[in-house]
Amino acid sequence: MASKKASLPWLLDTICAILIAASLSVAVSAVMEGRNLVFSVALAGLCAVSALRSLTQVKAATDGQRAADQAKAGWRALCYPALLSAAPGNRRMLGEEVADAVDRVEDLDGYHARFLPLRFAAVVSPLLIAAAAVPASWVAAMILFATLAPFGLGMALAGTAAARAARRQLEALGHLSGLFVDRLRALPVIVGFGAEERVGRHLAQATREVADRTLGVLRIAFLSGAIMEFFAALSVALVAVYCGFNLLGLLPFPAPEKLTLGQALYVLVLAPEFYLPMRRLAAAYHDKQTGEAATERLEAFRRDGVDKEMPELGRPPELRFEGVSIDHDGASVGPFSFIVPAGRMTAISAPSGAGKSSLLHALLGMARVGEGRLLLDGKEGAACLLPGHVGWAGQVVALLPGTLADNIRLACPQADEAAVERAARKAGLGPMIEARGQGMALPIDHRGSGLSGGERRRIAIARVLLKDAPLWLLDEPTADLDAASAADIGAILYEAGRGRTVLLATHSEALAALADHRVML
Amino acid sequence: MTRRREIELLLAEAIAPERRVMRAGMICAAVAAVSASLLLGLSGWFLTGAAIAGATGVLAVQAFNYLVPSAAIRLLAIGRTVSRYGERYYSHRAALIALATVRARLFGHIVAARDVRAVSAGDAVTRLVQDIGALEDRLVRKPALPAALAGGLVGLVLAALAGPGAALAMLILLLGLPMLVVRIAPRLLDGPARDLAEALGRLKADMTGYAQASPEVVAYRMAPALSHMLATEAGRLDAARMRLARGEAMIGGAMTLAGGLAMAAVFLLSPLASLPVRVMAVLAAAGAIESLGGLVRGIMRDAVVKAGLARLDGLAGEGEAVAPEKRCRAALTGRRLDLPVGKGRQFSLSAGDRVAIVGRSGSGKTQLLEALAGVRPDAADGIVIDGQNVRDLPLTQIRELFALSPQDALLISGTVRDNLRLARPGLRDEDLWRALETACLADEVRAMVGGLDYWLGDGGARLSGGQRKRLSIARALLADRSWLLLDEPSEGLDPATEARLLGALKSWLDESGAGLVLVTHRPAVLALCTRRLDLDDERPAG
Repeated sequence: MASKKASLPWLLDTICAILIAASLSVAVSAVMEGRNLVFSVALAGLCAVSALRSLTQVKAATDGQRAADQAKAGWRALCYPALLSAAPGNRRMLGEEVADAVDRVEDLDGYHARFLPLRFAAVVSPLLIAAAAVPASWVAAMILFATLAPFGLGMALAGTAAARAARRQLEALGHLSGLFVDRLRALPVIVGFGAEERVGRHLAQATREVADRTLGVLRIAFLSGAIMEFFAALSVALVAVYCGFNLLGLLPFPAPEKLTLGQALYVLVLAPEFYLPMRRLAAAYHDKQTGEAATERLEAFRRDGVDKEMPELGRPPELRFEGVSIDHDGASVGPFSFIVPAGRMTAISAPSGAGKSSLLHALLGMARVGEGRLLLDGKEGAACLLPGHVGWAGQVVALLPGTLADNIRLACPQADEAAVERAARKAGLGPMIEARGQGMALPIDHRGSGLSGGERRRIAIARVLLKDAPLWLLDEPTADLDAASAADIGAILYEAGRGRTVLLATHSEALAALADHRVML
Repeated sequence: MTRRREIELLLAEAIAPERRVMRAGMICAAVAAVSASLLLGLSGWFLTGAAIAGATGVLAVQAFNYLVPSAAIRLLAIGRTVSRYGERYYSHRAALIALATVRARLFGHIVAARDVRAVSAGDAVTRLVQDIGALEDRLVRKPALPAALAGGLVGLVLAALAGPGAALAMLILLLGLPMLVVRIAPRLLDGPARDLAEALGRLKADMTGYAQASPEVVAYRMAPALSHMLATEAGRLDAARMRLARGEAMIGGAMTLAGGLAMAAVFLLSPLASLPVRVMAVLAAAGAIESLGGLVRGIMRDAVVKAGLARLDGLAGEGEAVAPEKRCRAALTGRRLDLPVGKGRQFSLSAGDRVAIVGRSGSGKTQLLEALAGVRPDAADGIVIDGQNVRDLPLTQIRELFALSPQDALLISGTVRDNLRLARPGLRDEDLWRALETACLADEVRAMVGGLDYWLGDGGARLSGGQRKRLSIARALLADRSWLLLDEPSEGLDPATEARLLGALKSWLDESGAGLVLVTHRPAVLALCTRRLDLDDERPAG
C-alpha cells in the first residue's frame, strides 16, 4: 500500500510530461500562424511545468524512501533477535550472518524506495501517455502500443534469468563478507605463522570470482535494458516517419487521419515519454533483483516459535537428565543420566570433549536434545523456561562496547548503579576499578582490549551475582585464574550460591571440592 | 593527504590493465549521447520540414528529400541502443575487475597492520565490501564525461545553426549546470553520505560483538534490549539515507528544470532561423541537457565515494607503517632472548630453554607472550633478541622465530585441515596427523565426520574448549619454529588428557630441540619446564 502511495508523484510526473509536449506543440503552431502572444504564453507554460515536474521528482524520491524505511524497520525487528540468539555451533560464519542482517536489509532499500513505486507507475503512466496521444493521432498511439508487446516479452525472458543469477551472486557476496570477517578475527595467528600470502591468495581468488559473477548478473540486466532502449528508440523513429509522411501526404496506404504540424510534434515529443517510466523501472531492475534475493535470505531468520515471556523460576529447581544425548552438528554426545538436586551445588566433571558445554547449551535450548528427557522439577520444557531466568558464566565472556557498568548490567537491565557496583566489587573487580581510575564508567570495547583473562571472568561472575537467579549454570568459571584468584572466586560462588541450584562444569579439583554433589560423566 | 594519494594510486594501478576496455566504454558513451540528441532533433526537423512542404504544394513535396532523414532516424535509433549497451557493459567490466584487485590488495594492507589485535572485523569488512563498492560507482561513471562533451557539443552546434542568442543560452546552461552541481552537491550530500557510511560500519561492528555472545544473550534474554539498541542505531542510518535521497532528487530536479528552460530559451532566442531548424535546435537542446545526466550523477555520487575513500584512507595507510622497515638484516636465530622483568632487570633465555611464566591474573603473562610472538608490538618494549631490541626489528622477522598457541585458540572457519595448514606451506596429511597425535587430538579427529575435512563451524564453535586448544597447539607444532609459545596449553582438559599431552609435548621438544615459553596456572604443567619466571615478585627464579 505504501508503495502505491509512493507512486502517485510518478503519475504526476507523467502528467507534467504531457503538458510539456502540449505547450511545445502550441508554441510551434503559434509561430506557424504568427500569433506572438500565444507563443510567449506557451513558452512561459513550458518553464512553469518544468519547474513543477522537478518538484514532483523530489517528492517521488522522498516518498519512496519513507516507504523503504517502513519496510526495513519490519525486517530488522525480525532479524536482529534471531541473529543475537543463534546457537554458536549452528552458525556457519558469523560475518555472513551479520552481513545478512545488516547488508541484506539495506539491499531492500532500492526495492521499496524505487522499484515498487515505479512498477505501479510503469503500468499506469504509459496508458496515460497513450490516452493523451489519441486525440492528436490515434495511429501514433497504436504505434506506441504495437512496440509494447515484443518489449514485454523480452523483459520477461531476461527477468527470470537475471533473478536466478542475482540470487547466486548475493550468496557469493555474503560468503565473501563472511570470509573476510573470519580471517580478520584470526589475524594474530595468520601473521604469526606468516600465512598472509596464502590467505591473501585465497581471498583474491574469492573476490575475483564474485566480480565475474556480478558481471554475469549485470550483463543480463543490461540486456533487458537494451531491449527496452531499442523499442523506445524504434517507437520514436516510427512515429517520426509516420507523421512526416502523413504531413507530406506520401503514405503508401490511404491516410487514416490528417495531421497538423502541432499534432505531429505533440505525439513526437510524447513518444519517448511513453517508455520513460519503463526505462526508469529497468534502471531500478537491479534493485528488484537485489531486493528479492535479499528477501529470500532474510526469510531464513523467520523462526516458528514466538518467544513468550516465561514466568520466573520461583524457587531453586531440580534438574534431572534421563538418558539425554545431544546432537551437535552431526556428532552426538551422551547419553547422560544424573540429577541436579534443588538448592545444592552440583559439579560435573568429564573428559575433554565429552560434551559438558553442550549439556549447558541444551538447557538454554541452544543445542538439540536427540534422545532422552531433560526434566525441570519433573516437567519437560526447560529449554523454553530457562532463558532469561538463570545466572550464566560460560567459556567465552561476551563483552560489548560500552562501560564496565553497562556490561555487567546486561544480565539485569533494571538494576541500579549501586547494585551493579556491589556485584562488581563482590566479584573481585575492586582492584581493577581502583587501578584504572574511571570507576564503573571504565570503557570496554568488543574485544575487551586491556582486560586480562581473569578480569573477563570476573565480569561474567559479576553478571551472575547481579542476576540473583535461583538457578546458576557455570561452565569453567575459574579457568585462566591463578590458584589464589580461583580460590577467591570459588569462595564467592560458594557463599553467594548457597540455597540456589548450581550446575557447575569444571576440571578444577579445588572448585569441584566445594560442591555438595559431584557427577562424573 | 599522502594516504589519499596512496589509495588513488592503488586504484590507478588496478584499473591500468583494464584501460582498453574502459576506452571502449567511453567511445560507446559518446556515440550514445550524440545519437540520442540527434534522434529527437532530426525527427523534429523532418516533421516541420514535411509540414511546411505539405502545406506549400505538390512541387514542394516532391522537392523535399525525405529518404535521407527517415533512414538516418532509423539508423540513430539502432545506434543509440547498441552503444548504450556497450557503454554499460564495458565500464562495469573494467570497474568490477579492478575493484576485485583493490579488495585483495587492501586486505594485504590490513594484514600488514602493526597491531593486528586492534583490527575490528566488522568495521574492516564494511570497508572492504561497502566502501569499495562505492568506488565502483566512480569507475563506472568514467564514460560520463565523453558522453556529456559529445552530447553537449551536438546541442551547441544545432543551437548555433538556429542563432547566436540560442547558442549563447545553451553554452551558459551546459557549463553552468555542472558548475552549479559541483558547488551545491558537497553541501547537500557530503554530510549524509559520511553519516551513512559511519552508521553502517558502527552497526555491523556492534552486531558482530553482540552475536559472538549468543549463549549469554539467551541466558539473560538480552536480545530484545540489544535489538532495540541496534534498531535505534539503524534509525540513524535511515535518516542519513533520507537526507541523501532528498539531496540527490533535488539535483535531479534541477536537471529537469534546466531541460525545460533550455528548450524555451533556444526557441525564444532564435527568431531569425527557419522553423525546421528552430524545432531541431529546441528538441536537441533537451537531449543535450539530458546527456549531462551521467556527469551530474557522478558529481553527486562523489559524496558517497569521498566518504568511502576517507574510510579507506586508514587502511591504505596502515601498510605504510610497515613498509619503511628495513628488511635487509641478517636472519635472526633466536639463540638468546632477553625479557624485561621490571625495574630494569632482564630474564635471559637461550635456545632450547623451557620456561614457565607464572603470576597472578592481570600480571601481564599473556601480554608478554603475545609481545614475543610479534602480535602485540605495543607491549614489546625492552625485549631483546640476539642482542637487538625488537623495536628495531621488522615484525615479520620476529614472527618467524615463534609459533604461538594463543589463549583463545583463534581458529578460522573451515576444516581441521584448513586450520592446520595455516602453520606453514607444503604440509602433507601425514605431517598433520603426526602433529595431532602429539597434541592428543588424533583419535578425536579420526572419530569426526570427514576426519581432517570436518567442518569446524564459526571460529571452531563445533569443538569443545579443550579440543580447540589442542588443535591450536598442533598448529603451533607444525610451524616448526625455534620457539614454541603456549598460553595455558592444558586449559579445559581433564587431568588424564593433560598428563598425556604433557608427555607428548616433552618428547616433541626433546626431539625437535625447540625452546618453550608457556603461561600457566596449573602445577602439573610446570613439570614440563626447567625454569620459571614469576611476574609477581618480578624476580627470576631458577
